[in-house]
Amino acid sequence: MKELPKEVLELDQKIINFIRKGVDQQDPEGFNRLALEVFALQFKSIPLYRRYCEKRGIEPEKISSWEEIPALPTDVFKVMELSMFPPQTVRTFMTSGTTKPEERGKVGYDEGGLRLMDATIEEAASSFLFPDGMKTKILIIAPSPEIAPHMIMAYGMNRLKDYFGLPQSRFLVGREGFEVETLLKELRSSEEEGVPVTICGGSFGFINFFDYCREKGLKFKLPSSSRTLDAGGFKGRSREVKREEFIRECGEILGIEKEYSVNLLGLTEISSQFYDNTLRNFHKGLLLSGAKINPPWTKTVVVDPETLKPLTPGETGLLRHCDLANRGHILAIQTDDLGRMTPEGFEVFGRSKEGEGRGCSLTIDEMTRIEKGK
Amino acid sequence: MMENFELEAFYVPLELRDQVKISRTVVYEDGSTRILLKIPSIDRTFIQSLIHHLKEKRGVYLANLPIETIVHVLDVASRRWLDKNYPLRKLALKTIPLITGFSPEVVEASIDAEMESSLREDMWRALSLEIGDPLYLNDFQYSPQLGGYSRAFGPELIVSIFSENIPALPHLLFMRSALVKSACLGKVARGEPTFAPLYLKTIEEIDPEMAECMAVLYWQGGEEEIEAFLFGQADAVVLFGGVETCRSLLEKIPRRVKTLVHGHRLGFGVIGQQRMKRQGLERLAEEVALDCSMFDQQACLSPHVYYLEEGGEVSPKEFCQAVAVAMERLNQKMPRGRISPQEASTIHQLRAAYEFRELNGEEVLVLASSPKTDWTVVYEKDPGVFSPSPLNRFIRIYGVEDIFQVPPALKPIGPFLQNAAVAIGDEREKEFIRILGELGVARITSPGKMSVPSMMWHHDGISPLASLLRWCDMEKKDEF
Repeated sequence: MKELPKEVLELDQKIINFIRKGVDQQDPEGFNRLALEVFALQFKSIPLYRRYCEKRGIEPEKISSWEEIPALPTDVFKVMELSMFPPQTVRTFMTSGTTKPEERGKVGYDEGGLRLMDATIEEAASSFLFPDGMKTKILIIAPSPEIAPHMIMAYGMNRLKDYFGLPQSRFLVGREGFEVETLLKELRSSEEEGVPVTICGGSFGFINFFDYCREKGLKFKLPSSSRTLDAGGFKGRSREVKREEFIRECGEILGIEKEYSVNLLGLTEISSQFYDNTLRNFHKGLLLSGAKINPPWTKTVVVDPETLKPLTPGETGLLRHCDLANRGHILAIQTDDLGRMTPEGFEVFGRSKEGEGRGCSLTIDEMTRIEKGK
Repeated sequence: MMENFELEAFYVPLELRDQVKISRTVVYEDGSTRILLKIPSIDRTFIQSLIHHLKEKRGVYLANLPIETIVHVLDVASRRWLDKNYPLRKLALKTIPLITGFSPEVVEASIDAEMESSLREDMWRALSLEIGDPLYLNDFQYSPQLGGYSRAFGPELIVSIFSENIPALPHLLFMRSALVKSACLGKVARGEPTFAPLYLKTIEEIDPEMAECMAVLYWQGGEEEIEAFLFGQADAVVLFGGVETCRSLLEKIPRRVKTLVHGHRLGFGVIGQQRMKRQGLERLAEEVALDCSMFDQQACLSPHVYYLEEGGEVSPKEFCQAVAVAMERLNQKMPRGRISPQEASTIHQLRAAYEFRELNGEEVLVLASSPKTDWTVVYEKDPGVFSPSPLNRFIRIYGVEDIFQVPPALKPIGPFLQNAAVAIGDEREKEFIRILGELGVARITSPGKMSVPSMMWHHDGISPLASLLRWCDMEKKDEF
């Protein structure tokens, strides 16, 4: 495998230095400068993206702000490989949501890209998930990267475990599925030994676990400072109610204080993660309203779903993210998540579901599901 | 100045009207119009007395009404709705767009399409086609084949659940019910709750006693108790809607109840190389664009894919350019309606995926309105699988070397096929149509006609009138 070009290594180092300044830095100009540099490099190195930009009249020399960088709709990853250096790809992550591999988005990472992601994971988690610097036993309701090499969540949680976990930390979804007995045992031993835990995983994994506990009449009183991190969300369900219910369950079933339930928005197409500010606010005694926070190496804008033009802050539309850590593929990503900007950060209202149209839209998925259901 | 309208998401016979309690009022508003839509509160006691009333009036009036009179009333109703100055039509055109998001032009085109195929002649032909002699509905008629007398009876009460995709569709069920002399209770969908009540007001204007046998209600889908009770009281149920919805409703219908299901279906078009000519290209492209734009593509009748055969005078790609021009022109004349952020997002995402394949040098062409999502024409070589459209005027056009490559791709979705526009123009047409029929296609028509089936159509492959009937035969008695 060839080394990455020198200019890339240098740029990566600059981005890492930027990330390492932490989440409290205020340097919008620095962000803009780096974003334009990343864009110029991607424009040069990814011919398809270059043509896409040229069709829109955008070239690196012509723009002066990151806001003008053409955003790539996420579905394009389903049909094209858009890495900067495909032969250097060491890891490919895939989107979920469909069982058909040909319909899953694929994002390739080179070594440098993985190092950038690692830096974002460490910096963001230390501010938003572990602002108290606490070492906990991390229990992960997700498969390990060995079992799910293409799942970005598995990769990220593994990093959390390495950076922040006590030695007993572990994954709890094995080849045979969810190892619920092991989780129960680990939680009991934490209760007895007074070792705080961090339970993390997909939001629906928690729901399944809570259902199981309720059915068996199980409750825990986990040591103080124990916390949960759920990623994903509750697609298509009422957001507020669900979130409150979730936090209540974390309290009732696990004995976790409400400020210690943290939600994270992660996307396969975005290297960085967007955390809730709940625990950080609590720890720092800040009276800020809840939101997803952009770490300084990312920016989010909300665009009009019809025209894809930016909306004024507060209006609801589609979220578009810019992430310096996306150096290895595409910096600006147009998602199909609905949300809006708030004074602190942004809110997500859930993801657009496919086949939600009003008409006779019948997906092949629906058909195959019915065939199986017969 | 704001124009205010009060509408009801229900219609019940006059006598019962003061028993309807309003549970809430939904407000729809844009810059110039405000609609207050009254939602009824439905309980079992009310439904019980409503059903009793419908059945009673049907027994003393509709069941004895000559079919000729029924056809006349329905014909007058259709003609009123076709009259541009008819106050209820004007009201519908002012209000349905705001509630549904369809443009006024689309709603107008839907009403015209539905009503133009619901005139006297259409009804007579439909009756004759399905049951031979419509007079079987009036009395025993001599049947030479039987060598005796036969009479057809419709159900006492038909309950129907409507879907929301097509404004002006629910009237069809009230027409069919009246033609078989059945009382009819329909449930309107959340997305389009106002047309059916207005239509029944028209019937009331023309024949108040017939209107006593008809009602429209609204309740939140999945009201288990109400639905189960209603289905238990029905003699026939007609369902419109998505696969999942219909399936869950079917579970609540007792076995003895006759049930017709119009689930969601898929349409497509096929044009053979003989028709891919320069002469008449613009016209044919307009027909294709019309098929894709009517009802903003949300009808089961709408095409998801158009297949074009290569080797003709005009290439499929060139044809797409002509379709795109026609789509834009049609959008000026009959604008695409308002769609949800999710729907718009899906269109942008899909366009981008195709655009990248085009940039990558693949045999793909994306032609689209800009910057909004009003219409999209995508060309690609037939990938061999049928992809449903995200709708709202997004058409995939597949180039095929030979039209006979099309049926194998359709085979997996056979049970969901419904409507096909076919223009082959040579001797292969007959064989091609035979294959489509075997695959499950229920209606074959010409480009431009996909959205306007006649009343004679075997809707989804069934006989919508005859399927509701019960027959009584009287054999000629031997002399004793």
